[in-house]
Amino acid sequence: MKNNKLKILTNGIIRENPVLVLVLGTCPTLAISTQAINGLGMGISVLVVLTCSNIMISALKRIIPDTVRIPCYIVVIATFVTMVQLVLKAFVPALDKALGVYIPLIVVNCIILGRAEAFASKNSVVDSMLDGIGMGLGYMLTATVMACIRELLGNGTIFGKVITAGTITPFTIMIMAPGGFFVFGVLIAVVNKLTKGKVAEKCQNKCLGCPGAAFCSEVQKEGGEEA
Amino acid sequence: MSLSAVFYIVLSAIITNNYVLAKFLGICPFLGVSKKLDSAMGMSVAVIFVMVIATAVTWPIQTYLLDKHGMGYMQTIIFILVIAALVQMIEIFLKKYIPALHKSLGIYLPLITTNCAILGVCVLNIDNGYGFLQSMLNSFGSGVGFLLAMFLFAGVRSKIETNDYPEAFKGVASTLIAASITSLCFLGFSGMLENIFGM
Amino acid sequence: MADRHTDLIVASAPHVVAPADTARIMRDVVIALIPALAVSTYVFGARALLLTAVCAVFSVFFEWVTRKILKRSNTIGDWSAVVTGVILAFNLPVGIPLWMAVIGCFIAIVVVKQLFGGLGQNFANPAIVGRIALFIGFAGPMANWAITPRMSQAILSVAEQDAITGATPLAISAAGGTVPTNLEMFLGLINGSMGEISAAALLLGGIYLIVRKVISPAIPVAFLGTVAVLSLVFGLDPIFQLCAGGVMLGAIFMATDYVTSPITTPGRIIFGIGCGIFTMLIRVYASYPEGVSFAILLMNILTPHIDRLTRRKVFKPAEGGAK
Repeated sequence: MKNNKLKILTNGIIRENPVLVLVLGTCPTLAISTQAINGLGMGISVLVVLTCSNIMISALKRIIPDTVRIPCYIVVIATFVTMVQLVLKAFVPALDKALGVYIPLIVVNCIILGRAEAFASKNSVVDSMLDGIGMGLGYMLTATVMACIRELLGNGTIFGKVITAGTITPFTIMIMAPGGFFVFGVLIAVVNKLTKGKVAEKCQNKCLGCPGAAFCSEVQKEGGEEA
Repeated sequence: MSLSAVFYIVLSAIITNNYVLAKFLGICPFLGVSKKLDSAMGMSVAVIFVMVIATAVTWPIQTYLLDKHGMGYMQTIIFILVIAALVQMIEIFLKKYIPALHKSLGIYLPLITTNCAILGVCVLNIDNGYGFLQSMLNSFGSGVGFLLAMFLFAGVRSKIETNDYPEAFKGVASTLIAASITSLCFLGFSGMLENIFGM
Repeated sequence: MADRHTDLIVASAPHVVAPADTARIMRDVVIALIPALAVSTYVFGARALLLTAVCAVFSVFFEWVTRKILKRSNTIGDWSAVVTGVILAFNLPVGIPLWMAVIGCFIAIVVVKQLFGGLGQNFANPAIVGRIALFIGFAGPMANWAITPRMSQAILSVAEQDAITGATPLAISAAGGTVPTNLEMFLGLINGSMGEISAAALLLGGIYLIVRKVISPAIPVAFLGTVAVLSLVFGLDPIFQLCAGGVMLGAIFMATDYVTSPITTPGRIIFGIGCGIFTMLIRVYASYPEGVSFAILLMNILTPHIDRLTRRKVFKPAEGGAK
């Protein structure tokens, strides 16, 4: 039993890493990973929102009517996002400014809605909390690592600390849009290699946790039939 | 507002501030629905449609309701609910009155509620302090920018679909590398609009 | 023209092609590049040869290593990596630190070509992407345009005393200064990217390739023609615009790459016109003084659509009934 709890917790960090294995929440990860501090800040914000919303949704799962569950989840998530937003604004205004629109956009981050739908709505409060923490940590680690790589290559620093800047000319394209797509693609390929193609397999139903998944596959199917 | 200002807002939303390739919004459909040109275009048209309508509704709500009553902090919750309800209503409306349009856009609409590009454009319009007309133009331009990115990328995808990729790069990884190369060419246009319109 | 691999085969990728044909074509391209390299060596000195050699060697090395790691057949015998390397070198300032050039080779060969499955499966021209990535990523070193005593007085006079770099003709023209004479521009007694300076030598190579039927004239003619016409529209000197920057190199050697340009002649004409339009738009309006590589990359990306449209016209009766 204890093992099981541990498994839920570690699941999100490696085996089902939300970003690199499930390929969820790509937009904010790409956008904010230009500086390590932004990656960490975004990661912590997502961790907090995900854990809180998972707990709340799991606790309310018997009360929320099935037909309107998605709007209900969105309200719960939006509430926590607003709280995080206000806290950031009050205590770390610089970070709030750097993350900008991507903080309110945590609401539509499919990781959170996805976990609500796929896990919290079916499991106990404690398990949901562990799942939220695990998935949140998975997100945080990925966003931070990716941001460190981009900041190091593109600016020669990590968390603002000079590493190679001054000795090696930084390759600034890495902190621009093409560098974001590139580093993300390479990281997924690395995870793909390490997990021996599990990602490719998962990608068949990559939107697994995303509420839009059903429609997504419908669209793709329809496209396929037309051709 | 002068005509050149109108063009400037719309074109910079399409090219220099491209939603997908410069701002990283709406990446999920960009990666997920860009395999077939038909569905890529259908999705894009639906996005333009919802972006403009959502802005037309959320801008007045922010300006005349939330700001007036000092409830600006409710923005996130209100906006996402409004967008979700709006998408539902649009779907019902289209189904009933314009079935032809519903047939072509209908399947994309549910996807759009959780598309960060929609909420993103509504919030950014407010953050940038745009007036109503500016917001509408910016939303339209952003939607067209999404369409442009989808159009370009659908072509690329059709060409590289059957490629013989290295094992680790099969699937999303190679798609992201392709997106990286595609986003490169947009950088060449930086500064162009400012020069043309003398901004 | 960087990565042609098919010998006039009209089909969509992936192609199956005898390596011998590719090697013959690629060798012709290398031969066609020699006059330009000779002029560049005369103008810039031995460093031009060194840069070319480093790019060629590392491109081949990356091609070999990637194929080895991926456990795929060895393709360095088709000469395509050599061509990519040489063309990339032509697109760089002669004084660029060599390790940066090596990164460019890595991007061109590994990222743009081999990650997409190798020759014939890339959607963008490897050398172009390599150049743009360096151009944006190393903005400073990529804008150090070396000057030598063999260059036009117009270039030497605007540079500061004892300076080793100076503004290119396009930058001088944008700032409203006196530009080199058209003859100097045509011969290549100017600064700029290493291999792009001599329009005359590049044209010579282009004629050789057309005579050998390695490239069709459609893209270069449409590209150069559009640049000339638009120069007149914008009130600029067309000869200067054609000889300045990377237009000749781009039109003859990069836009004509079989893999990343349209298959049909109408498609190629559209492609060339598009390259010309975007080149001039970027030159005249954008913050970068030169837009050839961005224009070609954008048209590379549009190529599948151009192919679709130009092909559909041809086959319309056959599939017209269904919809």
